[in-house]
Amino acid sequence: MVEVKLHDVGEGMTEGEITQYLVNVGDHVKIDQPLVEVQTDKVSAELPSPVAGTVKEILAEVGEVVTVGTTVIVLEKEGAAVTPHESKASQEKEEPVSFTIKINKGRAERQSERVLATPYTRRIALENKVDIEQVSGTGPAGRVTDEDVFRFMKEGPSKTVEETSHEEAQQTTEPVSEKKEEAAPVRAGKTIPYRGRRKQIGKKMTHSLMTIPHVTHFDEVDVTNVMKLREELKAEGIKPVSVASFFIKALVFALKEYPVFNAVLDEEKEEIVLKEEYNIGLAADTDEGLIVPVVQGADRLSITGINDEMKRVMKLAKENKLSKKDLSGGTFTVSNVGPLGSTGATPIINHPEVALVAFHKTKKMPVVIDDEIVIRQMMNMSMSFDHRVADGATAVAFTSRFAEFIENPTKMMLEMM
Amino acid sequence: MTTKTMTEVKTNKLTLVQAVTDGMRTMMKEHDDILVLGEDVGQNGGVFRATEGLVHEFGEDRVIDTPLAEAGIVGTSIGLAINGFRPIAEMQFLGFVYPAYEQIMTHASRIRSRTMSKFSVPMVIRAPYGGGIRAPEIHSDSVEALFTHMPGIKVVVPSNPYDAKGLLIAAIEDPDPVLFMEPMRSYRAFKADVPESKYTVEIGKAATLTEGEDVTVIAWGNMVSVAQKAVEQMSGDGVSCELLDLRTLYPLDRETIVESVKKTGRVVIIHEAPETGGAGNDVMALINDEAFLYLRAPMTKVAGFDAPFPFFALEEEYLPTPARVKHAIKEAVTF
Repeated sequence: MVEVKLHDVGEGMTEGEITQYLVNVGDHVKIDQPLVEVQTDKVSAELPSPVAGTVKEILAEVGEVVTVGTTVIVLEKEGAAVTPHESKASQEKEEPVSFTIKINKGRAERQSERVLATPYTRRIALENKVDIEQVSGTGPAGRVTDEDVFRFMKEGPSKTVEETSHEEAQQTTEPVSEKKEEAAPVRAGKTIPYRGRRKQIGKKMTHSLMTIPHVTHFDEVDVTNVMKLREELKAEGIKPVSVASFFIKALVFALKEYPVFNAVLDEEKEEIVLKEEYNIGLAADTDEGLIVPVVQGADRLSITGINDEMKRVMKLAKENKLSKKDLSGGTFTVSNVGPLGSTGATPIINHPEVALVAFHKTKKMPVVIDDEIVIRQMMNMSMSFDHRVADGATAVAFTSRFAEFIENPTKMMLEMM
Repeated sequence: MTTKTMTEVKTNKLTLVQAVTDGMRTMMKEHDDILVLGEDVGQNGGVFRATEGLVHEFGEDRVIDTPLAEAGIVGTSIGLAINGFRPIAEMQFLGFVYPAYEQIMTHASRIRSRTMSKFSVPMVIRAPYGGGIRAPEIHSDSVEALFTHMPGIKVVVPSNPYDAKGLLIAAIEDPDPVLFMEPMRSYRAFKADVPESKYTVEIGKAATLTEGEDVTVIAWGNMVSVAQKAVEQMSGDGVSCELLDLRTLYPLDRETIVESVKKTGRVVIIHEAPETGGAGNDVMALINDEAFLYLRAPMTKVAGFDAPFPFFALEEEYLPTPARVKHAIKEAVTF
């Protein structure tokens, strides 16, 4: 028998959710044939069959979260009767992780949600029989405060919607050191599991916002000329390109002039590391939540090339088929929320990057040019940056340079020479 | 201040060093077995005049000028103590105690356990200590932690004239060796009412100098006045500090410390000794053991630096200041 175990499909993952089985018990499978689809924090991966044979057992259920090393499927190897000795050897060869203990869900949940709280707060929780790990913190760095514990006792868990400890917590006695107050009962509806991609997004955002001092500045850009140019090209029968591809090209040029925004801060070494590659991440909204595929080497691509690459990764994002490569190596992130209708935002930086820009809705506006009121296509943009690495003046200079390229696309041509 | 002066008691306004002299005189009058030994303690009256006049009052047999040999002073005192005397050995500065350390460590502190209580060593080692008087480096050492680590010897540090006399008398009466540390910077810094008669301040009892709700500030010796300034200024900012003067570093007053921390949930400890291995660490450990679940913020320390005491041009930089203490208090209350 050969045990197919969940292995680390990349970036040191520890668990994954079984989304679907591609085979049934009794099916004959070929070597490398996909057996099961697993959703990790970032990607959806298929586990291929290590041998040709027959599916004997399916051990984990769809929807179950399994840890790396857990046996998911048992196969019977094709061919002559397999001696136990051989089976063991092949097993070890396929998967070095030897333990096959099924995850204890409750315990894993607790470990990953170790909360911050002072001993004093922990005592309040202890005396009131509140599991402090279930309380969401509102204090500095997400620390659970005394008030959070009291609120939990009164209202029950508001953010943690899962698990049975929920009910237990609500049955606890009244706060020891707080007056009893009648809370208006709010009926709980459907619960949404907070895990997988959603939880990963939550973690990443919290980490970024807690560790990077964010500053956001706003600017407006006249995109009329780029729109016009795009139409002209189209009229000449050239394959249409999106406005966003122009934006990305212009951003790359601006980044080359202000490389501090295409960088990471290495706090340990006390260095700002300027990146030589221009890999532009695109914040993509998918059914599963936010994911950031990367247009690799945007500086080496033509505007059409950027357009094609953007289309490709966005399509894969929607289909949840992004490869690890498509998701890694980003040096700067763009959030194009214009098509969704936003006019301003304070975006959170894609840690460990230094900055992020969001493009907002483009609309026709009356604008004064040469003392005349004219109608132009105007777009707002927001730029969040790490104030440890750069100051406001540099950020403004950066977006101004970007606007210059967009407002006068021929200037971009000079950069292309 | 816990300086409890009953109205009927006749008092004198004394400095801390005068209170020390007064304590010795009071006890020497009552008990012939009390002797004073040290460098220049006789005719000269001691380097800080702490023994001034005693030789005239009690004679050279009881106030004995010794050679410059700290190991000899302490060793002789140990012998006298075992044989029925109650010697008071003076170190000119605590930083000069190192040659005598072997005598204290190997003999004074453990004769009681070594002889299964057949003998005890009822002696007091008086030692001025601490910085801030522009003395050269070793003169300014604050090495109380060397002695709190040694079972068998008590470590006492008064911060004001009343406590100085009361604690010194208690130390002389104690059947075991007591290191009596005298904060030099406070020697003549201020005067207070000190009863003329004999009284004691219990060894092992801390004093609650100001009561408060928000944070417990713990200090001893010279650092009490620094802490007091900070605490007063913080009360102007609406932070209510409870100031404890430990008075005895070994044994610690567990009850007072723990009760205060349970009340406030926050702790700032101040000592002028270097931070690493300082006596403040034991206070922290005690709180960790007995009041952990009451802490609302990490315990903090304001201490000297892990460097030899600097020459006088830099000593004010080295010593904790009210500003540093205030900063620590703010950190604790806003954590």
